[in-house]
Parts: sequence; C-alpha cells; structure tokens
Amino acid sequence: MSDNERSGAADDDLSLPKATVQKLINEMMPNEIACAKDTRDLLIDSCVEFIHLIASEANDICERENKKTIAGEHVVAALQALGFDDYVEEVDDVYKEHKKQQKERDRKSTRLENTGIAEEELLRQQELLFAQSRQKFEAQQQ
Amino acid sequence: MKKKYKTKFPVARIKKIMQLDEDVGKVAQATPVLISKALELFMQSLIDQACQETRQRNAKRLSAAHLKKTIETVEQFDFLKDVVANIPDPMESSTGGGGVGAGVDEDNESNKPTRSRRSKSSSSKAIKDQEMEL
Repeated sequence: MSDNERSGAADDDLSLPKATVQKLINEMMPNEIACAKDTRDLLIDSCVEFIHLIASEANDICERENKKTIAGEHVVAALQALGFDDYVEEVDDVYKEHKKQQKERDRKSTRLENTGIAEEELLRQQELLFAQSRQKFEAQQQ
Repeated sequence: MKKKYKTKFPVARIKKIMQLDEDVGKVAQATPVLISKALELFMQSLIDQACQETRQRNAKRLSAAHLKKTIETVEQFDFLKDVVANIPDPMESSTGGGGVGAGVDEDNESNKPTRSRRSKSSSSKAIKDQEMEL
C-alpha cells in the first residue's frame, strides 16, 4: 500500500486523481450521455486550471490585505472577482459549516485540556486554602 | 447542505496543487475545502453546458470538440482556452466523430501550452536548482 503511485511523480505533474474525477464525472453526467476518455482528461486539466485561477486571485486579494495566510474570505472574494458569483452562496454555506465544526473541535479539545490542567491547579488551590485556614485557625487561637 | 455527490475532491491534493504557485504561501484549513466546493460547482457547470452542445449535435458521447465549443462560447470559461487550444474544431458534417481522435491522444503534454503562472514557477524553480548546484 505504501509504495503505490507516489514514487515516480514529480511535483509539476501534480494533478487530480483520475479515478476520483471519473467517479464524479459519472455522478454529474446525464444518464444518456457518456464521457469520452480524452474528454475526461481535459476535464481534469480544466479543474487544475480552475484551482490555479482561484488560488492566484485569492493570493492577490490576501496580499492586498497584508495578510500572510489565504483565508476562506479570500477564496469567496476571488470567486466574485473572477465572475463566479453564482458559486458564492453555496461556498459560503460550506464555509459557515466548516467554521461551526471547527468551533466544536476546539471546544472539545480545550475542555479536555482544562480537565488536565485543572487537576494540578486544583491541587495548588487546595494547598493555598489549607494554608489560609491554618493561619486563620492559629490567629483565632491567640 | 445540498450534498448530492458521493465522491469528493481530495482536499490535501488541492492544497498541494495550489502551492505549486510560488506566490502562494500559507493557506488556512478552510481554503482548500472551499475550493473543493467551488470545483464541484465548476465541474458540474462545465459538464452541463458541454452536454448541451453534445445534444445539439445529436451525439451520445461528450467529446473534446464539444468541450472546446463550450469553452469558447461561455465567458466564464475563458481561462480554459489554452487547455483546448490543440483540439481540432468540430466538423460541420453529420459524420460526428471525425477527427476527434486525431490531435488528442494519450500524450496530454501537448495540451499544456503557455500557462503563464505555471511556466513562470517551473522555470524559476529550474533556475533556483541551477543556482543551488553552483
């Protein structure tokens, strides 16, 4: 399993996996029309071009905002700038969903971390409280 | 969410492809996910419109020529003109598939002429390699 496709491919030959794209094409094509093999390859090339197009525009937008990381907002803005307004709504929905899921992930992990830290913290706090009540007790004894 | 497709584009691969562009630096986690969605919409749109051409020609297979016609007609797909530049134009005769196999064989290299961004990166990469060798 480890040695399959990756071994010979140079970075520049990077494309989308044929099998995956073929499956998607089959899902997207109307029932009565088939896709020729060379057409499939052209569709793959078109997808790669699309990625480059959006990435480049999003990168420009990102730089104009003096940011270093291409964010979701930049992708959405790029789609608008390049005449793909009709995609914006659905892409934005995906973005909202993604942010929501990320919040869930963050919340869950900090909850666990808090439990871990809290124990030591709790011990410390406990010691402090003991020391304080000892002092109070000793003060009362006088 | 109207997820109607079972198959998804590989998000990690999309990120790698993005970063082939030397100008592209860091990329937020959401970014390739959003591009994956946009890619879905794009591919469906391209297929839908290309199939219209297929039907118009009374063909049963979506050919490279149909794709080319679509790309040349629809403004949104202007950026794809280079991808189909080598495809021979469709013949007007009703014999349909003539010439389709001709220019477009297994050798997809010929379908990749000047893509300004990519050739820039690969040539500057080459120069960098040479410099490193020194």
